[in-house]
Formats: sequence, C-alpha cells, structure tokens
Amino acid sequence: MTATLHQFERNFEDAPRAAAKTGRKPLISLKGVGLSFGSHEVLQDINVDIGEGEFVCVIGPSGCGKTTLLRILSGLIQASRGTVSYRGKAQTEPASDIAIVFQDYANALLPWRTASQNISLALEAAATPRAERKDRIAHLLEKVGLSKHADKYPSEMSGGMQQRLQIARCLAQNPSVILMDEPFGALDAMTRQKLQDEILAIVSESNVTAFFVTHDLEEAIYLADRVIALEPNPGRIAELIDVPLARPRNQLTTREEPEFLALRRKLFDFVLRYE
Amino acid sequence: MMRPINLLWLAASFLVTLALLALWQWIANHGYVSKVFLPGPDRAFAALTRDYSSGKLFTEVGQTVLRMALGWLVASAIGIGLGAAIGISPFARTWIAPTFEFIRPLPASAIAPVAIVFLGMTDNMILLLIAFGSVWPMLLTTIHGFSNVHPRLDEVARVLRLNRFERVYKIALPAAMPDILGGLRLGLTIALILAVVGEMITVQGGLGSRILLAARGFRAPDIFAGVIMLGLIGLATNVALTALERRLLRWQPAPAT
Ligand SMILES: Nc1ncnc2c1ncn2[C@@H]1O[C@H](COP(=O)(O)OP(=O)(O)OP(=O)(O)O)[C@@H](O)[C@H]1O
Ligand SMILES: [Mg+2]
Repeated sequence: MTATLHQFERNFEDAPRAAAKTGRKPLISLKGVGLSFGSHEVLQDINVDIGEGEFVCVIGPSGCGKTTLLRILSGLIQASRGTVSYRGKAQTEPASDIAIVFQDYANALLPWRTASQNISLALEAAATPRAERKDRIAHLLEKVGLSKHADKYPSEMSGGMQQRLQIARCLAQNPSVILMDEPFGALDAMTRQKLQDEILAIVSESNVTAFFVTHDLEEAIYLADRVIALEPNPGRIAELIDVPLARPRNQLTTREEPEFLALRRKLFDFVLRYE
Repeated sequence: MMRPINLLWLAASFLVTLALLALWQWIANHGYVSKVFLPGPDRAFAALTRDYSSGKLFTEVGQTVLRMALGWLVASAIGIGLGAAIGISPFARTWIAPTFEFIRPLPASAIAPVAIVFLGMTDNMILLLIAFGSVWPMLLTTIHGFSNVHPRLDEVARVLRLNRFERVYKIALPAAMPDILGGLRLGLTIALILAVVGEMITVQGGLGSRILLAARGFRAPDIFAGVIMLGLIGLATNVALTALERRLLRWQPAPAT
C-alpha cells in the first residue's frame, strides 16, 4: 500500500515534465515542413513537436533558415510543404497569444510612443478597457525593471532597456508562446546574461512556451530544455538535443557543470563542421 | 544647455538684420540707386505705418493670408489623403504614382491660363492655382512617408492583429509624420508665392495686387512695404510650423549640436 502510494507520488511529480518531453499533447507541431523561395529550398522536412511550457532553442550556421523557421511558426509566412499546427489547428496567420521578440528592437518599437504607450499598443490591440490598462502597464514595466522610465521615448533608452520594453510589450499580449529571434544578439555580455535570467524567470513563472533562436551556443544550452541544431543547404534538423540541466539555472554554477561543458563541446563540434 | 545658445543665435540674427537695414539706408541715402526704384527703409516703413493706421494694411495682409491658408489647407487635405491612399497600396504606387511624375514638373503658372478659362478672374481661380502648386510636395512626401514604414512595424502590427484603421492611424501616419511635415512646410512656401502671383493676375485685392498697382504707379515705397509684409508672413508661418513640428516630433532624438 505504502509502496503504491510512493510510486503514485513519484509518477505525479514527473508527469508534467514527461508530458512536455514526450510531446503527448504538443502545443506546436511541425510535420514535414519545407519552404522554398522560388527554386531556392530554404527549409526541408522539418519534424518537431513542442510541448507546453517547453523552452526550445534553435542553433545553426548563418543562413540555415532559423529566422525563416521562426516566422513560419509565427504565422507571418506560410510553409510551402507540410503542416504547422498550433493547438491542433493549422497555423495560417499570427495568433493573438503568440508573441515575437524581434532582434532589432529599435525597429520593432514605435519611436513616437513612450515606454508606457508602447506597451499600451498591445493592450489596445487586445481591446483591453482603458481603465485596466494603466495598472497592467505599471505591472509590466515593473516586471522588466523599467518603472522609472515609463515616460521615456525609445530614443532615450539604452539597447538593453529597449529590448526589455519589447519583451514587456510581448508579455502584454498574455502570450502562451514567445518566439525570440536572437533577441540579445546586439547587447553586451553583462546585459545579455541579466536578460537571460529575466526571460527564464518570466517563462517559468507564467508557464510560457519559448522558441528561441540564437547564434550563441552557450546561451542555447543555458536556456533550453531542448536544442534544435539545424544544418544548412537546405535547412534541416541535424539533431535534437535534450538539455537535462537542473532548474533554476545559475550563470556561474550551471555553466560549470560537466553536463553543460559536454553539451557545449558537442554543439561546437557540430557548428565547426559548417564553418 | 540649449537656452543660451538659442539666445545667442537670436541676438546674432537680430544684429545681422539691423546691419542689413543700415546698409540699405546707406545705399538709398547716397543715391547709388535712383530714389524712384529704391526708397530707403525710412520711406518704406513710413508707407507701412500710413497703411497700418488707415487699416488698409490689415485688409490686404488678411486677404493674402486667407487665400494662402485656404489654398494650402485644400492642398494639404488632398495631398495627405491621396498620398496616404497611394503610399499604403503597392498597386497604386505602381500604377498611379508615375503619372504624377509627368504632371508634377508643370509649373503652376502654366496652369493659370487653364484655371482662368474655367473659373475666370476670381478668388476660386487663385485657390485652384495655390492648391495645384502646393499639393505636389505634400503628395510626394506623404507617399514617401507611408510607403517607407519599416517592414518590422508592419510585422508588429500583424502580430498584434491590428485592424486596417489602426494600422494606418497608429502606425503608418505617425511613422510618416516627419515626411508629411516637411511637405507641409514646402507647400506653405509655395502657397504664399502663388497667392501673390494669383493676386497679381486677378488684381482682386491682397498684397499681390498692391505690389502690382504700386509698381504701375511708380510708388516704390508701397512696393517695398508690401514685400516687407510678405517676408513677415513667411517668417511667421515658418515659426508656427516649426512650433507644430517640435510638438508633433518631440519623440525624435535631439540632433547633436
Ligand atoms: N524573403 C526571402 N526571399 C528569398 N530568400 C530568402 C528570403 N528570406 C530568407 N531567404 C533566404 O533563406 C535563407 C535562410 O534565411 P534565414 O534568415 O532564415 O537564415 P538564418 O538562419 O536566420 O540566418 P542568420 O543566422 O544569419 O540570421 C537564406 O539563404 C536567405 O537568403
Ligand atoms: Mg536570422
């Protein structure tokens, strides 16, 4: 009796993670996805299921189709072949609960709107009543550490602050999925690490599913539950790599773990093949 | 930080103006140019104060400013409205915009005879002339502004699922605003010029008629008085537009000085 109860408890604990991993009920599902621009085949036969709450990073040499893959997931562009489904339905246009953090935050923010007003845009789009907006905005600004800069225009903010603001606007969408295309690529190392931890905190807090494109192999390992390694010409999945590192992760200790170093080695070897 | 520099500039340009006036007076006094053609500033200002106290100046300035403003407003409405419609639609940009390249270089004075045939020597003729001449910069800058919205902003609009109206009103229009304001400014200058030209053609009152009539009667001080008023109108409208620009574009990073 006690043994069965114990067994039950263990199963119960493992259940959510296991569901995400095995993808029994995937949130996003790609089957045989391919895309060509004219005769140029950019993506070929992409098959992957992404579970709810999972953090997936995508790496691969430049031009292998990472951005294109992300844009297909977002519904901004359509695959030429195969199916992309989100919550079991074909993804044909951007969904209101899928947010994108663009790499070029300077272009993605509205320069004529202050920080508050930029966040407000997402709330206006969702037809949030005016009375509720103020509190939501204040809360979101606090979450990304911009409370003191509510009335600044993007041109008056640093790169890191602008990217935080873009993240806040994405969070204002109350997203189930956040797609990020090298969001920290243009930031310095310190800011980058801080934002990595902030994004991990946000994701684990609200059980958001994250799809994160990066050039930085260590960043991929540090953030991900699973890393998709794409090989180029045409872009296709070379390998799906599980990252069994414990959470919450820590910039110092996690990066020193043997498992981390082994994965790092593995990914470097993978990328070197295409240099 | 800005203030003292601005004041210095202001003081400097004031001094330059004074120096030029002094030079003008000096040339007139020494009779290097015949008094019939070049009155000194003293006589020009005397003409100004005379017309000011008789109320004639006020009427004439009012007429010219009203024509300029009306023509400019009509041109702005058409230029911004049509420009936005064309700028948003790639189809219109491909098929309609090239036509403008044919019509645009026509000097506004070339359509004056056409306008006279249809509307006679009337106020409406002047309005048409002003509107035709000043609509181009607004139309072209608005098209440019609307068609050059950064593609990323389009994507942001799509991801947030903004509707068509919101996309125009919240994204494209503010993004195009710097271009539009540039067009408005250019258009206003042209509107003033064409208001005067129109008044000279129709002789229906206003500073243009005044200058024309004064020239025919060899009343040089009256001509100069009219020209001074035109300069002041140009200056005042420019200051007003600059203030508007400052307000609407206060989000733009301050240019490094
Ligand atoms: N709109 C397009 N039309 C034609 N070709 C395109 C288009 N967009 C992307 N491509 C091509 O698709 C390929 C993949 O581009 P993509 O931007 O997805 O690569 P990436 O992996 O994101 O590269 P990077 O790491 O440099 O960002 C490239 O060869 C690119 O030239
Ligand atoms: Mg890319």
